Amino acid sequence: MKRSLLLLLALALLAVPAVAQALTVNEVAREVRCVTCGTTVDISTSGFAAEVRTKIKQEIDQGKTKQQILDDLESQFGRQILATPPKKGFDLVAWLVPGIAVLLGLAAIPFITRAWARRRPKAAGTAVALSDDDRRRVDEALDRLGDA
Amino acid sequence: MAIGVGVAVLVVILLIVGLVNRRNDGPRFVADEVLAPAQRKPAPVYSLPVLSAGGTVRPVGSQLSLANLRGHPVLVNVWASWCGPCRDETPVLEGIWKRYAGRGLTVLGLNVEDVTDDAVAFIHKYKLTYPSLRDGSQKTKQQFGYTGVPETFLVDKSGKVALYVPGPLTPADISGFDQVVNPLLKT
Repeated sequence: MKRSLLLLLALALLAVPAVAQALTVNEVAREVRCVTCGTTVDISTSGFAAEVRTKIKQEIDQGKTKQQILDDLESQFGRQILATPPKKGFDLVAWLVPGIAVLLGLAAIPFITRAWARRRPKAAGTAVALSDDDRRRVDEALDRLGDA
Repeated sequence: MAIGVGVAVLVVILLIVGLVNRRNDGPRFVADEVLAPAQRKPAPVYSLPVLSAGGTVRPVGSQLSLANLRGHPVLVNVWASWCGPCRDETPVLEGIWKRYAGRGLTVLGLNVEDVTDDAVAFIHKYKLTYPSLRDGSQKTKQQFGYTGVPETFLVDKSGKVALYVPGPLTPADISGFDQVVNPLLKT
């Protein structure tokens, strides 16, 4: 009995990854753009999107991988069918530029803060540079306070 | 009482608007709608794969451009297999093709926004004998200016668009087709 339970448990554990890794229509469809309406095929209600979802289902049933299905759709409709640009060739720029921009921004922070820090003493110096007239008025005001 | 009168007035206004904007059931292929030669714009001439053969458009899989068909008017019908109205208008297009093919007019389907296998199945299911090209990447969309399916363009002998008919074709639309196409076949 115990052995049977253990066997069942082992089989269940083996099955979990297969179920978790099974490719779904929506998993592919969310990476495909509906050329008639501009949204992704997983949320579009257009006739074209329905047709593409059926095709995705057929190709999943044939055992094709996500990339194979996307490649097939790209060969039929061109790159416009892909919701995100492919990570190769010139399209790689679209993926790299945001990361590079963030890195450049982070790298610039020390330089910018140093520049601000350098500017601050100058600002303080300007504040104390009173004209002779102003200095006389300040002294007079302080004298009056002292007398009071 | 006031609400009732308001609703009644609204209904009357809607009826008037509906009558003024009622669908025009008359033919849409009328000589008056054909653009003067000087006003016509060139149809796109991209090379596209032949999806189904017919007339001089062949063989399937070869590349063909509208430029190859110059010298004869061409009725270009933009369609997709998932589009119900495209299915409804096929008898009209088939009728035009059978009637005018011998007189020099080519009816040419332009399959867009469609899965190739489904498009081919559609052609077989509805027994279409006029040829079709496939424009999967929508090369021709901008130049033709179509916004959906089905839409139809009558291209003259010099490759310029003489008439544009949005929406599905009905038998009523083509009652005046002779008057439209005969001058284009002659000039």
